[in-house]
Amino acid sequence: MERYAWTLRVSAADKDRATVFARTQQYSVGAPVQFDAAYDAITALEYVLGAIGADMVNGFRALARKRQVEVDHVEAVVEGELNNPLTYLGVVGESGHPGLERVSVKVYIASLATEEEIRRVWQEMLARSPLVQTFQPVIRFELSMQIVL
Amino acid sequence: MDKPILVGAVLYNPKVSVIWDIIGEFFQDNGCPIDTVFYTNYELQVEALLKGHIDVAWNSPLAWLDAQRQSGSTCRAIAMRDTDRDRVSYLITKAQGRVKTVEDLRGKTVAVGAKDSPQATLIPLGLLQRHGLQPGRDVQVRRFDLMVGKHGDHIGGELEAFQSLAAGEADASALVDLNWQTWTQDGTINPHEYTILATTEPFDHCCFTVRADFPLEREQQFLRALFSMSYDNPKHREMMDLEGLKAWVPGRTSGYGLLHEATERQHFFAGTQT
Repeated sequence: MERYAWTLRVSAADKDRATVFARTQQYSVGAPVQFDAAYDAITALEYVLGAIGADMVNGFRALARKRQVEVDHVEAVVEGELNNPLTYLGVVGESGHPGLERVSVKVYIASLATEEEIRRVWQEMLARSPLVQTFQPVIRFELSMQIVL
Repeated sequence: MDKPILVGAVLYNPKVSVIWDIIGEFFQDNGCPIDTVFYTNYELQVEALLKGHIDVAWNSPLAWLDAQRQSGSTCRAIAMRDTDRDRVSYLITKAQGRVKTVEDLRGKTVAVGAKDSPQATLIPLGLLQRHGLQPGRDVQVRRFDLMVGKHGDHIGGELEAFQSLAAGEADASALVDLNWQTWTQDGTINPHEYTILATTEPFDHCCFTVRADFPLEREQQFLRALFSMSYDNPKHREMMDLEGLKAWVPGRTSGYGLLHEATERQHFFAGTQT
């Protein structure tokens, strides 16, 4: 196989922001992590969690289309937990690390297809998802799917 | 530019760091830059203060006593919240229960917070001692050691102590007046089912503490900025609401006598190094 890599450019911007340039697109990222609900940017951690959810939602939808399984809507709720967020803040005396400890993704699928058809697409999506396959072996990765009508 | 004043604070919840971020910005804007150093417990913070790793410590009342104990009473309490002054703790019991006086607790069980909580353990047990009841001998103590080292900053211990009373596992429980007010208003405690059995003498809570050698001009710079915070200023109000105060007031040490007495009677610092 020939090697294939993606290259993004990340440039420091105002305050605690960075601008990410990916191909012809760009987006802004805030602090690595934030605990202030009113913080006015999306953090790096939130982008990771959002990316996991988007990978699954879009991956499922694309595969369902390919397998001719009709789907009305797909939505995911993603929850992430750090091993010890206090270590991110540099709290003296804390142990552990600021890395992701657990990610839980619950995907809601609105479809009139049979459960068997949906589950087949779901399994294929999990097997082919770059982010699921990256995180599943290294953290507590709780995935579930619910069919809603 | 002035070197920032290093301020220590104990952090048990990352959300609390947001308050310190806001306070840091306020100090910066008022010509007194500070850097906050977080500690996982008060023991580490007191050690850092006395070793000169930090200039100012936001101390619990027990950490204040510890700093005084270890420094030969040379530290200074320079400021506190208005709400840190004259707090009281309550022993509460079931309104329809058999316990009507503190003396009725003889042979009974009292639920308290973490072992190092001034308001939910040390001072309430001191109240029992003042009534001639020795914890562990005359009264069984059921302790809820949540987040030891945080000196009762976390309300979990007090809440579990109350739940123990509610479940009938204890005959009374201890809590600070502010939690009684909050919990009887938000439905956690039904004020018709529970009653205040006894109230402690007033005591003071947290204070900003400095070492004896902290330069007075730096202290004044810090206090000028701190005391310029005004509840009438909408920009300051959010920060003050988050910290639970209406005004910063000068530190005083007269409100720590009750806790000092309790730590002595209960040999709290016995065996710890100075």
